[in-house]
Amino acid sequence: MPARAAGVLCACVAAMFGSLLVGGTAIAPQQIVHALLHPNAGEIGTIVWQLRLPRVVIGAVVGAALAIAGALLQGMLRNPLVDPFLTGVSAGAAVAIVAGMALGISLAVVPALGFGAGLGTALLVAALARRGAGIDATRLILAGVSLSSLFSAIIALLLTRLQSTDAAPAIVGWLAGSLAGRGWNDLTFASPYAFAGFVLAMLSVPALNALRLGDVRASSVGVDVSRAQWIILASASLLTASAVTLSGTVGFVGLIVPHIARRIVGSDARYVLVVSMLLGATLTVLADAFCRSILAPTEIPIGVLLAFIGVPLFLFMYLREERAPAT
Amino acid sequence: MIRARDVTLSVDSKVLVRDVAFDVEAGEIIAVLGRNGVGKTTLLRAIAGVRAPKSGSVTIGGRDMAKISPAQRARTVAHVAGDDLFLDRLTVRDVVSMGRYPHHEWWQWREEPRDRTSIDAALQAVHMQAFAERRFDTLSSGERQRIWLALALAQEARVLLLDEPTSHLDIGVAREILRLLRAQAREDRTVVCVLHDVNEAAEFADKILLLGSQRLLAFDVPERALTPALLQQAYGIDMECLRTEDGGFRVFPVSLR
Repeated sequence: MPARAAGVLCACVAAMFGSLLVGGTAIAPQQIVHALLHPNAGEIGTIVWQLRLPRVVIGAVVGAALAIAGALLQGMLRNPLVDPFLTGVSAGAAVAIVAGMALGISLAVVPALGFGAGLGTALLVAALARRGAGIDATRLILAGVSLSSLFSAIIALLLTRLQSTDAAPAIVGWLAGSLAGRGWNDLTFASPYAFAGFVLAMLSVPALNALRLGDVRASSVGVDVSRAQWIILASASLLTASAVTLSGTVGFVGLIVPHIARRIVGSDARYVLVVSMLLGATLTVLADAFCRSILAPTEIPIGVLLAFIGVPLFLFMYLREERAPAT
Repeated sequence: MIRARDVTLSVDSKVLVRDVAFDVEAGEIIAVLGRNGVGKTTLLRAIAGVRAPKSGSVTIGGRDMAKISPAQRARTVAHVAGDDLFLDRLTVRDVVSMGRYPHHEWWQWREEPRDRTSIDAALQAVHMQAFAERRFDTLSSGERQRIWLALALAQEARVLLLDEPTSHLDIGVAREILRLLRAQAREDRTVVCVLHDVNEAAEFADKILLLGSQRLLAFDVPERALTPALLQQAYGIDMECLRTEDGGFRVFPVSLR
């Protein structure tokens, strides 16, 4: 397993480096390396450090955060169809951002607004899913799906009102998921929360492994199941809110990447979380490079592209798995 | 070792048993008997500390299991419960290694040499070393039951609680499981298990804990706990009790014909 994880790490580094090569100005690989080592080395240094690198790093953080969040929730709920948006984070953030834009709030505070509303919604979903000291899996799914549907309806209503205003393209772009125009400042805002979520995720590894045996058996081997559920949910919410703040709604990474990770390294949470993180980063960085180069200078929203790739891939994997026992 | 005093158990405000009291010594094997729904599993959970009794107390080694941390509890008592839901493809070793969870801090990942020794010893005790790398979901019911037992042994707890460890097993495999439990009792572990087969309990257990409607009917050696009168109260059917030539004890339902 460590060898496979190392292989994925190499792929991730290669994807990030390859993505640095993509852009309006042709820059040779050796020039990229030189610029990375010498940030103040003229125009190329500026392009690499101020335009390409932040975008590649943000893509990697978004993909890694969503993939870890998906792996955490799928593991905790023992449900392979769960994705990070189940926590209500993206729907809550989307409503706040659309409402904020509709009300003409400065774009500078939009990420913070989305982050706060996303986490607030996650808390509401968790409160609705609470049963005794712990969290009820069915209630969590029902609360997450219901609130997300309600918020989608509110967004649709707001969009019909805003169709003819200047804010509409920005809102639609955000909803479709995009890394366009993001820079170091956005990353500085989101990364402490993403890091906190990552630390909580790593602390949850032993409990996640025991939860593979079911809540009852996990409890009988000494897992404080309620505590583990709250930590995992807090971690997934922080990671998802950070990602949504950076990129809007980027779907399917959190759903599909944990599946691929489990195929590569099995179900041990130690490897699943790390490999999900690396694969999520790889996939998002590659997709973003594709989005900004295929129709350059126009960009395809990354959320749209990932859905185009993700849905057929997911269906293929899932149907093949479902049919396997019959053969 | 296990001490229950004035224990009343309820589920959703329905009282299952009232004022149960008993003492179990180290190395004893107790079989819990009674008709379906009478509260056997709930009693096991109360002993395990995962479900607090409505009133009264259950202590193990003087400690109330409901008042200590889950990890401390798991080092004291291993509870083998029925729950076979699986998302993942775990190996036998993955499953048994979960028994080492309470011997680490809750965030600690690393498997230490002591863990490996304990997991190997647990697999050896249930004669499943050769299956360590097999996928758990490819095992038979009897093999799975042995692995659940190995998981409990890897916890290194002094008390083993098992809920119907022989259900759905053929008679040969069931007896093998009971022999493995007997071997654990010889190493001074206390074994409490819910059984359905009265004769299996009579042959295997040191004492029978017989539950009736809302009360403890008997807590005694099989000959005194499994009398026709008590069995009639417990199961609502007439039974005959016979002593066999080899000194054993058998119970037969009176023919319905």
